[in-house]
Amino acid sequence: MEYLLILLAPIFGGLIYGMERVVRARMQNRVGPPILQPFYDMYKLFGKEPFMINNYHIVFAIMHLMTLWVAVGLVIFGANLLYVIFIHLLSSIFLVLAGYSVNSVYSHIGSNRELLSIVAYEPILIFVAVGFYILNSSFDIDIIRSQVSQVPQLVLLFLAFLLIIPIKLKKSPFDATEAHQEIVGGVEVEFSGVFFEILYMAKWIEYIFIYSILLLFAGDSFLYGGLIFLSVFFLVNLIDNSTARIKIEHLVKITLFIGLSLSVLNLVMLGV
Amino acid sequence: MFEKYRKKSPWILHYNAGSCNGCDIEILACLSPKYDLERFGVINTGNPKQSDIFLVTGPVTYRSRERLMELYNQMPNPKVVIAVGSCTCTGGVFRGMYNVEDGIDRYIPVDVYIPGCASSPELIMDGVVKGLEILETKQKVSDDK
Repeated sequence: MEYLLILLAPIFGGLIYGMERVVRARMQNRVGPPILQPFYDMYKLFGKEPFMINNYHIVFAIMHLMTLWVAVGLVIFGANLLYVIFIHLLSSIFLVLAGYSVNSVYSHIGSNRELLSIVAYEPILIFVAVGFYILNSSFDIDIIRSQVSQVPQLVLLFLAFLLIIPIKLKKSPFDATEAHQEIVGGVEVEFSGVFFEILYMAKWIEYIFIYSILLLFAGDSFLYGGLIFLSVFFLVNLIDNSTARIKIEHLVKITLFIGLSLSVLNLVMLGV
Repeated sequence: MFEKYRKKSPWILHYNAGSCNGCDIEILACLSPKYDLERFGVINTGNPKQSDIFLVTGPVTYRSRERLMELYNQMPNPKVVIAVGSCTCTGGVFRGMYNVEDGIDRYIPVDVYIPGCASSPELIMDGVVKGLEILETKQKVSDDK
């Protein structure tokens, strides 16, 4: 069952991405593409002529996809939350290295911004894990998932986690890392054809990763999990549609000031 | 069996080769809620390495011709070039001027010509959908090779 879920993770991620494009279009009073649009994109990219820049560029991208998939697999198997977060960090580092391995300015700017965004969101992810540890005296995702929902005790950490979802999913106002208009996609600028599919698929798996960490807050209740998922999904897209992009230094400042103080406050409250 | 899905995801690269911005505004109008080109799967990527359709506006000024060639060469096959507006097709009112190269077909092969000054969104959408058919035949040719 778990193996099947892990194998199908990219497909679920693609469906979420397709749903998101439809929801975003409906919010702008448009019809929008079909839900299966990401899969059509995938199929088209197979037929395109691939341009290979250098070997490292591709190898790092594959490593990024693989480590991200492993992180999702560990979440599904219910492994240690701290391990999962660090493997996810490793996958982000591979993406940064892929960006640095080519001789393109936009790619380098994208990598710099990716590093800065890691500085912004990583402490909050770790604090979320610490919060779960204080409540359950264990980092095991299996144990966290077998409890009743812990949102009441972790409400500030939950808010801090909501703050970093747009960074990871590259949504406004925190999408300066890939900024399609200014730096043409950042790290992904030099990928084409089949090789771009690697990054495209990694993006889908990123959706699964972020939402599966979000579902840890719901505990063992499926109803509550579905409710949290749907409302956060809607909220993230609403904010994506209604705000403009902010600069990367503001991203780091806002996330660290608000997110870190919220999470530290929550930890202090738990300690007392 | 999946052949018909291949043309459902055209990604657009838009380049302004010295246009007066009239056609650019009409292209953006196509992507806006009223005409909604995204329902055909169109994304305005801005990255030549990931796009299929090259939308060019403007009568190719002397300065922009090298960038035009560069962008065209960076796009992976199969690709379709669409000339939007009278200037791009023939040079339009600027034809014969010392700083203008009289249309993009002197430099790159064009698949669809869209007339009009500025081209209306309906014409642009018609041209893009026509370009999709050409993209499909080009795909077949490159598959057979």
